[in-house]
Amino acid sequence: MRHSTTLGLTLAAALLGTASQAVEITLMRFFGDCQNEYGSVTDPAQANGECGIITALTNEFNATNTIGATVNTQTAEWGAYYDLLTATYQTGSIPDISVMHASILPNFTSRDLVIPLGDLFAEAGVDTADFVPTALENASADGEVYALPFDVHALLFHVNMGLMEQAGLVNEDGSPMLPSSPEEFIAMGKQFEEATGKNYIASESQAAEGMMVRLFQSLMWQQGVDVLSQDGQSVAMNGPEAVAAASFIKSIYDEGLADPGLDYSGAEQAFLNGEAGIILNGTWVVDSYSTQAESGAVALTDYRVADVPALFGTPAVWADSHMWVIPTDPSRTPEEEAAAVAFLKFLNDNSYQWSRTGHLSVRQSVIDSPEFQALPHRAEYAETAQIARAVPRTQNQRAVFNAMISDFNAMWLTGTEPQAALDAAQAGVERILRRNR
Amino acid sequence: MSRPTTHLGDRLLLGVTVLVAALWIVPVLWVLAMSLKPNAVLQQSTWGLLPYPFTLENYRNLVTLSATPLWLFNSIVVALAMTAAVLAVSSLAGYAFARLRFPFRRTLFVLTLAGLMIPEQAVFIPLHTMFAAWGEHNTRWALVMPRVAVPIGVFLMYQFFRAVPRELEEAAELDHASRLMIFWRVMLPLSVPALTTLGLFTFIHAWNDYLWPLVSATRADMYTVTVGLASIQGNFAFSEGLGSVMASAVFASLPIVLLFLIFQRFIVAGVAMSAGK
Repeated sequence: MRHSTTLGLTLAAALLGTASQAVEITLMRFFGDCQNEYGSVTDPAQANGECGIITALTNEFNATNTIGATVNTQTAEWGAYYDLLTATYQTGSIPDISVMHASILPNFTSRDLVIPLGDLFAEAGVDTADFVPTALENASADGEVYALPFDVHALLFHVNMGLMEQAGLVNEDGSPMLPSSPEEFIAMGKQFEEATGKNYIASESQAAEGMMVRLFQSLMWQQGVDVLSQDGQSVAMNGPEAVAAASFIKSIYDEGLADPGLDYSGAEQAFLNGEAGIILNGTWVVDSYSTQAESGAVALTDYRVADVPALFGTPAVWADSHMWVIPTDPSRTPEEEAAAVAFLKFLNDNSYQWSRTGHLSVRQSVIDSPEFQALPHRAEYAETAQIARAVPRTQNQRAVFNAMISDFNAMWLTGTEPQAALDAAQAGVERILRRNR
Repeated sequence: MSRPTTHLGDRLLLGVTVLVAALWIVPVLWVLAMSLKPNAVLQQSTWGLLPYPFTLENYRNLVTLSATPLWLFNSIVVALAMTAAVLAVSSLAGYAFARLRFPFRRTLFVLTLAGLMIPEQAVFIPLHTMFAAWGEHNTRWALVMPRVAVPIGVFLMYQFFRAVPRELEEAAELDHASRLMIFWRVMLPLSVPALTTLGLFTFIHAWNDYLWPLVSATRADMYTVTVGLASIQGNFAFSEGLGSVMASAVFASLPIVLLFLIFQRFIVAGVAMSAGK
């Protein structure tokens, strides 16, 4: 009897000891899996690209934290990510931390599926006052902070300066000469094509990434119109401003300034191979294009970045934001929650590493730091941070985006007239918004 | 007199068939070629059906990635278990509907066939909620069970058993064989071609299944190979990791290709059989 009691006590002590020392938590994210390249890298400065940097950051946390926490990463495919995350609430394997777009967050906060972080941040020493105001606003709902903002990503013009020079479209200060109206855009495009024999624009035009939908939203804001109202209740997509923006985008293809047959990688290949003057793509590729242009392995050698120009008056450009949240899980222990918060603080402390990808930093102290300002090309798109307009944080944002993509693509793939395409998109999005509660 | 024309017609048909087959194989060759090229090269150009410059890097990465063998194992277990269960249920039910007399036989049969008209998506959420209530998600059991009731399988076996001459069973009955014995010793051996076809299609379906495993197996160690390979792709894998994506595609389809090569005869016969019915 005594023997078994002693044994029991020893076991209990051993178990308690283990529990207080080692905590394993799960991180669910997209950005891909790059264990092969970065599985053993613990210095984020040695990593490149979104996947590499977040993997190295996780490794560093696991190697250096003093609370015995281990973060296990579970990756999911970008397209299916939110379906999988939602499913975990039913299946019971809820991650302790997950990545989330700012525009998706309301889907989760409105149903209490992520926990409030304000008090936890205050305890852990995460200074929310250091976040740029829009980032903090994006991470909040009803005055409470629900997420750790990690970046702002926006649409940019990536420019091949060699070709621009050939076309005589370079300003005296060495920056690319960009249009300030739709008419000027077409005229410059024609001038470019006559001089170089290449396409003025390369853009993903087929599906999935909806690069032209992002441009459309930017052009709508430039005219002072919100495609989706901020409360997510209504959509204004077939008025005169929308027709003007959509007609302009269609004319880029109709005038032969862009190849409608390109998908994401096709557009990228065209740009890197020197077959196009400007590619429409996001902040996430600045580091990649810059490295490739310097490597001498591609035809593109003189690479520059520019803000999306104001073609319709007010400067404005599409933007969204990556954030980290802690999904609600009643079975999570206080130790696990503490480990999750500690990891979020660690990510926030290393926000600069993430901004090396090309993303805009959300921390004022990082933006002001000399190391951030010394990153290549940052000065060329510094204004983007000021003109970035976040898509409204409404429910079913992803569904709205996808509905717009298919109707918009019809304009250049099957020749649908702008008004008809916009009417179809308007009806499709209204149907989705009616499902919102 | 008509022979030369037929001959010419045959040759024309053969030519067209070869042309279509060649066109059909081009994307496959393209995928294969891309899977053997470095990602950096593919980011600049995906052109060409020859793997030059050549690398095995994409495959090496796939295989050395610790979780891939586990996902492969999960897929094999799930696909084999599902195939065995579907064959057992379909052949037993098919036989019962074809040859046994029991109350409500017709009603039950109609109800079974009505299952054909219900799209999988319609029962998806109730099914998911049900397994959640039982706490059975993230098990191989949950990956197999929802796919065991296959009306088309029951119907296929029903059709097959009906076509077997009654005399065979009567002969066995004269020898005092029990129902079970007749089923086991007479009917099942006869239905090997039908069972092979059904089994192969079930296996292929199980192997390619994506949506249900995606939302049921939400833990990385329970992923099947389709979900697992999709999960390792980056946001913009189609530009930065095209070679890896293609290697995943080849890798995941390899077992199915092997299966096809081994059982080609049955698959073709099976398609012909279902077309003829």
